Amino acid sequence: MTGININKNSVILAVLVVLLLLLPMAVTKPYYLHVIIICLLWAYLASSWNIIGGFAGQLSLGHGIYTAIGAYITVILFNTFGLSPWLGLFVGGGAAILLSLVIGYPTFGLRGAYYALATVAISEGIVVLLNNTGSIGRFTVGGAEGLIVKMVGNSAVAFQFNSKIPYYYIVLIMVFLIIFVAKWLKESKLGYYLVALREDEDAAAAMGINVRRNKLIAGAISAFFTALGGVFYAMLIRYLEPNAIAGAGMSTQMVFLAIVGGSGTVLGPVIGGILLALISEIIRFYLGGQLMGLHLFIYGMIVLLMIIYQPRGIIELFEKIGQRFSRKHNDEGGRSGAEDPSGA
Amino acid sequence: MQKTLLELSDLSIKFGGLTAVNKLNTKINVGEAVGLIGPNGAGKTTAFNLIVGVYQPTAGKVVFDGEDITGLPPHVVCRKGIGRTFQVVKPFGKMTVLQNIMVGAFVNTSKNKEARQIATEIMEKMGLQGKRDHLAQNLTIPERKRLEMAKALATQPKLLLLDEVLAGLNQTEIEEAVQLIKTINREGITILMIEHVLQATMAICSRIVVLDYGKKIAEGSPQEVTSNSEVIKAYLGDEYENADS
Ligand SMILES: Nc1ncnc2c1ncn2[C@@H]1O[C@H](COP(=O)(O)OP(=O)(O)OP(=O)(O)O)[C@@H](O)[C@H]1O
Ligand SMILES: [Mg+2]
Repeated sequence: MTGININKNSVILAVLVVLLLLLPMAVTKPYYLHVIIICLLWAYLASSWNIIGGFAGQLSLGHGIYTAIGAYITVILFNTFGLSPWLGLFVGGGAAILLSLVIGYPTFGLRGAYYALATVAISEGIVVLLNNTGSIGRFTVGGAEGLIVKMVGNSAVAFQFNSKIPYYYIVLIMVFLIIFVAKWLKESKLGYYLVALREDEDAAAAMGINVRRNKLIAGAISAFFTALGGVFYAMLIRYLEPNAIAGAGMSTQMVFLAIVGGSGTVLGPVIGGILLALISEIIRFYLGGQLMGLHLFIYGMIVLLMIIYQPRGIIELFEKIGQRFSRKHNDEGGRSGAEDPSGA
Repeated sequence: MQKTLLELSDLSIKFGGLTAVNKLNTKINVGEAVGLIGPNGAGKTTAFNLIVGVYQPTAGKVVFDGEDITGLPPHVVCRKGIGRTFQVVKPFGKMTVLQNIMVGAFVNTSKNKEARQIATEIMEKMGLQGKRDHLAQNLTIPERKRLEMAKALATQPKLLLLDEVLAGLNQTEIEEAVQLIKTINREGITILMIEHVLQATMAICSRIVVLDYGKKIAEGSPQEVTSNSEVIKAYLGDEYENADS
């Protein structure tokens, strides 16, 4: 029974992977491929947020600062010294880790909304700072006008490609990477500790869990991967604008996608990211020009309805369908499928 | 020679004007089962919270296994070998029963497989195997109480602090739980238990400490304690008040 299941699952997975690898052959219009890339990037970012926001239950409303710090540092190092973004991303990622510790250390010891409030305040502060900083010494930051990535033409080392296809494969690998990280986390001691402290901090502490330390670790992992998403965004769009990369839009989008998809699960944020980003892109495509902001309104309504009627995320719908499907086919008695808290 | 496992000296805490625990002195030997009783609000739970470091005592000392652990944070105290249950049970609602217990098992291993193994043994001992994959939030009260004990046991403590684990159980469930606690004690875990169900406390514990208004008013064998006039006054006084209202 389980053997068959594993086989069935791995076949489905293999087919999915092959389809994803071949996708650029079918999608030849750059615009469509670009939309797919954006959807995958949102899936990646929502999954990165999910590590601290979902598993550990710490509501960060300012993850835009990590996309921003990753993107800005990488681009500035590239523009100034010609340092390859592939190396710069480690500097940006490291800076994001440091920043997450600076924010988390004083706030994770406190109960309630302090962490959420701190993340909002700091991210707003950083947007203002970026908007008002033209340069720091010889480093051009760009201020409100934004920062343009120096163009060098098609160059893998410089993370610049004329075709959309390499970007597609890079972001696809990133999504696989973050799924792998989440899957590992779910099975690991750290993952158990995060869910435990999310559910009850006192009970977690009584069972030997250093609550603050584990939150800090989760926050650092989350910040690092979020920063890599920022780097990818920078290299894809080739232009950094403070409000877009660090602003409330960026920060809240990650939270919405993860929650709508199913926060605290491995695949929920991926599904939420892809589906909602796709919907918002479609709405924008058809309505964007006619009524300014209408697409945001419709998008907001969808998110609202989802949270009211499917609070445990789209992933739960998928699981229910999957369970019904396998029950019909196996007619297996008893309980079908553990109600696994961390989902698929 | 009896070896002391836990020693409280002059342990005290004030909440504003209220001295919730007042110069509490007692010793618990390795392998003992000791009861902590007293009327509502006597300071029993607060005493637990002082031992495990939820509160910092305003005065006094906690020595465990020869080491001064006064004021150490709860997660450190747990790793020293003290497990505790909560009077208001605190299951990790969105985790399954087995996963709840595994959290405790991770204190002694970092491997998922080993933690699963330790947790499975404890789950079976506590009679929760039938609920293995159920979410903790869907358990009944008696099941929650047993899960609460299983979680504490999974950390493999030397000393187990039980806070009213029999409250809310019916007669049969109480008898089962009493046997379970006796077994745990016989297997070498020292027990300090807060309990209102006197019959059960007397069945498990060789010694009982009585608190009233934060102060220890009696200590001794169940017979000694129940015939102590101060204890009778503390309890009956309570009942007269209840009768008045
Ligand atoms: N954090 C706190 N702040 C202020 N007062 C507190 C606090 N915790 C407990 N108290 C007070 O200390 C006293 C002792 O409370 P405690 O919970 O220890 O009693 P208890 O003996 O466990 O009672 P019960 O049998 O009802 O559980 C009570 O008067 C309570 O109101
Ligand atoms: Mg109490």
